[in-house]
Amino acid sequence: MNIVQESSKSTAREADKATPAPFFVRGKVVEGTGVRHKSRDLGVDFGTPKIDLDALITLRTEPGPLFDVKLSEILDFLAATGERMRLDKNGHLREAVDRISATNVLPRSVIELNVRMAADYLNKAKLLEYARHNLGDERVLDEWVPRVDSTGRRSFTRAFPPRLIHILPGNSPLVSAQSIALGAMVKAINLFKMGSSDPFMAVAILRTMLDVDPSHPVPRSMSAVYWRGGDEQVERAVFQPQYFDKIVAWGGGDAINNVIKYLMPGLQLVSFDPKTSISMVGNEAFDSDEILEDVAMRAANDVGLLNQEACVCSRVLFVEGNRPQVDRFCERLQRKLVDRNAVSGKAPPLPRDLAEEVESMRLMDDEFGVWGTGDGSGLVVRSDEPVDFHPVNKTANVVQVAALEHALKYVNVATQTVGVYPPARQIELRNGLASGGAQRIVRLGDAGGQSIGAPHDAMYVMHRFVHWIVHEDGFEAR
Amino acid sequence: MDAVVRQRESAVDRLVGLVDTENPFDMPFSEALPRQLEAINERFKDRIEKIKLLQNRAESGGITEIRTMADIVPLLFAHTAYKSYPEGWLVEQKWDRMGRWLDTVSTNRVRSMDTSRIKGLDEWLHRLEEQSHYVSCSSGTTGKCAMMNATMADCEFAGHSLLQAIVWAGLAPNHDRRMIALGQVAATPRNRASGKPMREAFNRPDVAPFAPNVPPITIGGITEMIVLRKKIADGTAKPTEIAYFEAQVVEREKAIESSIEQAADALIESRHMPLHIMGIFGPLYKVAERVRAKGYSGKDFRENSAFVSGGLKRVQVPSNYREFIFETLNLSPARLCLTYGMQEANTNAPRCSAGRYHLAPWVMLLLLDESGENLIEPSSSGELEGRAAFFDLSLDGRWGGVISGDKIRATWAPCACGNRGPSVSDDIQRYADMASGDKIACSGTIDAYVRGVA
Repeated sequence: MNIVQESSKSTAREADKATPAPFFVRGKVVEGTGVRHKSRDLGVDFGTPKIDLDALITLRTEPGPLFDVKLSEILDFLAATGERMRLDKNGHLREAVDRISATNVLPRSVIELNVRMAADYLNKAKLLEYARHNLGDERVLDEWVPRVDSTGRRSFTRAFPPRLIHILPGNSPLVSAQSIALGAMVKAINLFKMGSSDPFMAVAILRTMLDVDPSHPVPRSMSAVYWRGGDEQVERAVFQPQYFDKIVAWGGGDAINNVIKYLMPGLQLVSFDPKTSISMVGNEAFDSDEILEDVAMRAANDVGLLNQEACVCSRVLFVEGNRPQVDRFCERLQRKLVDRNAVSGKAPPLPRDLAEEVESMRLMDDEFGVWGTGDGSGLVVRSDEPVDFHPVNKTANVVQVAALEHALKYVNVATQTVGVYPPARQIELRNGLASGGAQRIVRLGDAGGQSIGAPHDAMYVMHRFVHWIVHEDGFEAR
Repeated sequence: MDAVVRQRESAVDRLVGLVDTENPFDMPFSEALPRQLEAINERFKDRIEKIKLLQNRAESGGITEIRTMADIVPLLFAHTAYKSYPEGWLVEQKWDRMGRWLDTVSTNRVRSMDTSRIKGLDEWLHRLEEQSHYVSCSSGTTGKCAMMNATMADCEFAGHSLLQAIVWAGLAPNHDRRMIALGQVAATPRNRASGKPMREAFNRPDVAPFAPNVPPITIGGITEMIVLRKKIADGTAKPTEIAYFEAQVVEREKAIESSIEQAADALIESRHMPLHIMGIFGPLYKVAERVRAKGYSGKDFRENSAFVSGGLKRVQVPSNYREFIFETLNLSPARLCLTYGMQEANTNAPRCSAGRYHLAPWVMLLLLDESGENLIEPSSSGELEGRAAFFDLSLDGRWGGVISGDKIRATWAPCACGNRGPSVSDDIQRYADMASGDKIACSGTIDAYVRGVA
């Protein structure tokens, strides 16, 4: 594929003000800013090349570049990419950080941290551990692994490389790195559709790969482009089972409803549904002032993580105690949220409707308590049951409960991570939480951590990505 | 009576009283502005003691007096102010708490009442009417209902000023037409009140006005659906409730379908007399399609007139929908009155012969930036674009300052129609419709897991 040059000078001039967002198509960078887009959250203009739909497709008669490459070699290449990302000699990531800062609501420091985490994620030992834990035996990626069942029937199983479309979220540059790594490890043919709040990070990582080895099969198996979600001209043509096996989609609402239209036999959905995370704070938090201070800090960490943009961020905190105790917790939590601003900066102010609802609550002080303001620096709203809005931009909804078990009725399939204090009470709560629909239980304050290869959203991700193929070879000659 | 006399002399009443003059829309902005500012300040001084949310806004915005248009901006309420109650209270029918909430956005006190035996929202609203609170509710089955309090005077003014606006726009009611109402609007006090004066002025005495015979869309009925949707989301709804919910959606669609059919039949049946049609464009287009399908068109009708309010409300129609409607029902631009208004305000802006919507002098137009936080200063020439906000001095039961969701182009210069008051171009867009479905993030709520209804 050649580098596409801008064809029309007048459009190029018009697009001068738009931030360039080049594409990456099967191992090559595609420059151009002829097509203007607007980022969803901040309304910033960016310019992309025109999409060459045919270039995004690898026909099924053509094996993917990674199909016969050993996992170990892929991991070496990913690790080398991680190294290059840390050095960033060609400035691809610096440039991406600059550009993401303009289109994304995340503060620059958080984006920089995400990029460092992305580089660290490309670690050979950790990625191997991930694959081993997800698949039981990583050999299935490289070989047809033999087995004889109890009746003597012989079979060979392989986790065969799939053809994947990844609909990337716009709220976490780290997810781009994770998706690229997993897509490479399963040896897939990968098409990444970037989000309008970050149409840069995936391309920056893939460009860095070219610095490691411009002809390596890993970048050749990857394309990262942008089109406006819902653009039927692109999606109707590309979302076909003749070309792809699975659409890996983050998010919900419009984004998922849009993808669902295209599902059919042969084209499956692997969905990372929209999630809300919560916290459960037992009455033990009030045993002493020091403990309360510590618990409030842990809670603030879970709420304020990534400025509350991610699914693991706590939004509703169920606190076991009486009114004065719970109010003390609220007051400290709000203070700790504000303290975090020194590290990660303020979040954007609350949207108007939400700010209005909170102000109404402040007026009804019999029913609600409100600490802080909606300016993005940290806000806590105490209520008797969860508020009916989705707390965002460093807003915590503290719900007073007589016993943590009473909070289980508020857990549902959209509940992802539940942070529990004290840790010992995770045991008594976890069956009830899982039954309600929650997918991950952690110690309070540890929502941002991650056990390598652990299930995500109630699935082993890599296991879902691959195509499980069996070759059955009858009975051994007796 | 002293109080009444004093009130009549107020700056507010001097402006609102212009409704009964021949052409209130001719007042130049330069003349209206000082009078509006004086009147809004007068309102503010009075209401700050009465409307708790206003008091809260004034305190946080540091506003103690209205001297300029910019002073009003922090005091404007978005429609969300009228849906800021916790939805759980509605679901669990906590009417005492709902009453305390309503009080924070009302001019006149919502007194506590024995709510223990109230069955459902419609009954609560009825009990509020006994206290002279006429609460209207924006419709919609997926979101929360905005609940807006009004006095009887508000309801009467809405109907009266609308009729005056229609006459100003060029329709001459003369008790000589049959009114054909397309229905499909919620049965709210405001909607009831605004239809009545028009009906009395247009409808001929020997024929009953037509309205489709379908179950009325009551606020309680709308809310029942909202409540069910929430229960489905929470996972507390049983499969029979989900089945009921989905059946209701089908029922509603059937009712809409039936009202279109009935309206088409009524139009055809009354085609030998002049008609006055009242509705919104989306359904009107569907009715026109039905009339065509039954083999009738413009040549079969007398010269009809129509009153159409609101935009398309996201209904998908071909771009030539207006021509199609005109040709089918023998309407003409001169015999069509269009108005631009919003549920949160009381006064509609009628469209002039030059195709622009005109603001009455008792309604101040404030143009804001997209965020709704900053005033775009009026200019004496040309058009400016931004988010529409209004201060409607005729509003009594709640605060008159409201921000819309509309992107408009406005001018304060005289209009081609000859009137000198501010006017709005007819290419009004909704900011909500312009956003793309492009937001993808891993965080979100259980709402994404509910099979939705439109």
